Amino acid sequence: MRLRKILLLTGALILSIVVFILNAVTKNVDLDSSFLQHVRTVCILFSFAAIYLYLNIVKKEKQRGIVQGIGAVSIVAGIFLAIYLIISFLPLKGFETRDLTLFPRDYQTIFFSSVFSIVAGIYAIVSLLYIRDLVLYKRKKTTLRNFVILIGSIVTASCSQLLNKPLEESLVSGIFTGIAVLLIVTNSFRLAWIAYLPRKEKIYSLLYSLLSFFGFLVILVVFSQEAGWAEKGIHYYSSALYTFVQLTSIFGAVYFGMSFSSTLFHLPTAEAFDRKQTEISSLHNLSRLINQVFDLKDLAETATKMTTEVVQATSVWLEIIPTEGSFHKSGLMSHRNIDEQEIEAVLAGDAQSVRAVVCDTKKVLMIDDVSSDKRTKHLPKMKKVGSLLIVPLLSHQQVIGILYATKEIDYGFDQDDVDILSGFADQVAIAIENARLIEKSFEKERLQRELMLAQEMQKRLLPQQLPVFENVDMKAVSSPALEVGGDYYDIVQINKDLVGIVIGDVSGKGVGAAFYMAEVKGIFQSLAKIFPSPREFMIKANEALVTSIDKRSFISLIFATINIRTGEMIVARAGHCPILYITSTTKEYIRPQGIGLGIKTGKIFNDTIEDKKIMMKSGDVCVFYTDGVTESRSSTGEEFGYERLLDVVAAHRHQSAEEIKEAIIQTVWNYTDAQGYHDDLTIYVVKWF
Amino acid sequence: MSDFKVTIRSRDNNIHVLELKGYLDAHTTPVLEDSFQKMLIEKKFRLIVNCKELTYISSAGLGVFMAFIEDVRANSGDIKLSDMSPKVFNIFDLLGFPMLYDIVTFEEEAAQKFEMKQ
Repeated sequence: MRLRKILLLTGALILSIVVFILNAVTKNVDLDSSFLQHVRTVCILFSFAAIYLYLNIVKKEKQRGIVQGIGAVSIVAGIFLAIYLIISFLPLKGFETRDLTLFPRDYQTIFFSSVFSIVAGIYAIVSLLYIRDLVLYKRKKTTLRNFVILIGSIVTASCSQLLNKPLEESLVSGIFTGIAVLLIVTNSFRLAWIAYLPRKEKIYSLLYSLLSFFGFLVILVVFSQEAGWAEKGIHYYSSALYTFVQLTSIFGAVYFGMSFSSTLFHLPTAEAFDRKQTEISSLHNLSRLINQVFDLKDLAETATKMTTEVVQATSVWLEIIPTEGSFHKSGLMSHRNIDEQEIEAVLAGDAQSVRAVVCDTKKVLMIDDVSSDKRTKHLPKMKKVGSLLIVPLLSHQQVIGILYATKEIDYGFDQDDVDILSGFADQVAIAIENARLIEKSFEKERLQRELMLAQEMQKRLLPQQLPVFENVDMKAVSSPALEVGGDYYDIVQINKDLVGIVIGDVSGKGVGAAFYMAEVKGIFQSLAKIFPSPREFMIKANEALVTSIDKRSFISLIFATINIRTGEMIVARAGHCPILYITSTTKEYIRPQGIGLGIKTGKIFNDTIEDKKIMMKSGDVCVFYTDGVTESRSSTGEEFGYERLLDVVAAHRHQSAEEIKEAIIQTVWNYTDAQGYHDDLTIYVVKWF
Repeated sequence: MSDFKVTIRSRDNNIHVLELKGYLDAHTTPVLEDSFQKMLIEKKFRLIVNCKELTYISSAGLGVFMAFIEDVRANSGDIKLSDMSPKVFNIFDLLGFPMLYDIVTFEEEAAQKFEMKQ
């Protein structure tokens, strides 16, 4: 790019020197369409083409804003005018006019004419480049076309002069010039850039436009005089250049005249336009934030900040009305330039308060004069609160929050503010909803993780495998109804001969139940060895549990010790389902008395609990279970009950513990008609070989 | 979801009857809880829970009674239960409730007991 610039500049310089030499050589000769004349014309054309390309690059390198562009034009016009004035006063001999052709009287005149012509060309090209930016601002398909035609007509009008003698005026050039002027006027209506200028820039634009307008006008007026040698100098250099400079100056004068008056008319609405701009960008910013802010507090801060900007409020605050199941504290989320006491003062009076009015009507409330309005005149006087605007945040016709804005002055808000804040409030409401939904889903995910953890923990609380004994066959199964159930069973070897078995049901389900279950396991594993008497164990277990367990929860439990050598089984029941016991001759439920664990302390519990002794003989079957078995329901809603359980065990009593367990599950499964188990279901079968 | 309903009815001598209807499990316990809560707030401590139309009660349902009985008794009142079906009684019985609560056959009986105490 740098090389190209140097080349272009050098080219222009060389060509200009060639033209100067030619001019000097032919000082007193009328070239009139001779070969040398054509060479001269081509050199001039190319030199300006090179200058144009050079200036175009330079301008592109230094991008200017709209207003700076106009400023640059006015400066260029000013500089040109200054050079023109200075150069006019040079003591030169000027030109001799013969037969519409100009003959310079001395070489200085030739030199200064050349220099001034090049300066004039640069002035015209730079002006056109900047005006081009303005005309093509927010261009449509036809804009560029119109502009290109205009430039084309200016160049054509200029070039048509090449056919004439320097001072000759032909009809053809006149027509082209006329067309060019017409196009100049039409192109001068392209002033789209004015509307988009902020107010401050509009004022600058007004000033620069005026300066440029006068600059171009003065240049035009002075040029048309053709009094001094300078204008003649350009004519002498190239009459095409003269036309070009003239048309450009007309274009400049017309365009900036138009832009000046148009800017002037735009000024009164500039403030409103600025506001709309801020409003649009604020709404845009907010919509963007909706996707970024998940935290309600941050969101509220952003909303109040933007409200302050958009309506130029003195103070703003936002309260969010909590919905059920929301994890957020209610009330004030963000306040700007007002403290909580002041807010409380504004909202005093519960049912009569402005808050209540807005919640009730679900409409925007605007109070122009707080001190005299009947809804607010009882409030204490506050400097910050002259006028008040209250906007409800609605979601599904529910008020989920309220946005308040105040101004010091009375009648501070107008209908525009209401419209803006209403639109704004809708966006904030959506954002709040989003934030809440996200929070809920986080919470749900967290609970799910917790539940999985509990399930994992619970699985590990149950024995992975029951020990195998010589005389006793034991099999157990547990399947939770939900991810985490409340059923528990376990076994512990108390001593060489004695085995402790426990089965229980923790009231409730889920994480809480799993927690209690873990506690029961701890108690069982430690106490069973110390208190092998089931009743004593129950009393100690109750003591441990009753203090730690929630008062609406309890644990039903059966603890049995079996002497694996003799078959003596001692069992205590704390509120749990009775034990099913089948011998070759009897089938019955054994139901020692006792209330559930964790319900009552001390004596009351101790008095109810009792030990029951059973001697197991060969072929006897004992089944421990939880209420999930007996309370399973058929498709008609009828419970499985105790009779059916008794029957199915009796029918399979000759089989192994495993087969009996499977038979129970199968029967319950068939009975529930594949609806799935209704409750947690646990079965523990003990069979004496 | 199963239906559960509590109807509150008042009797003479400042006795209030909570008639339970339907299926009381973990999902429906809040209904009963709210009713008890309301009674406590209104300082009504002489309560009879009529279980005539109660078809099922889960451990969570039993928990509700346990949660409130202490407060009621501390205010020299009581929660007495009546008109249970054998099946529902069995659930209460398994857990040992008859040893802790006054469970009677008919509501009248419970009312008389309250009056006698007075």
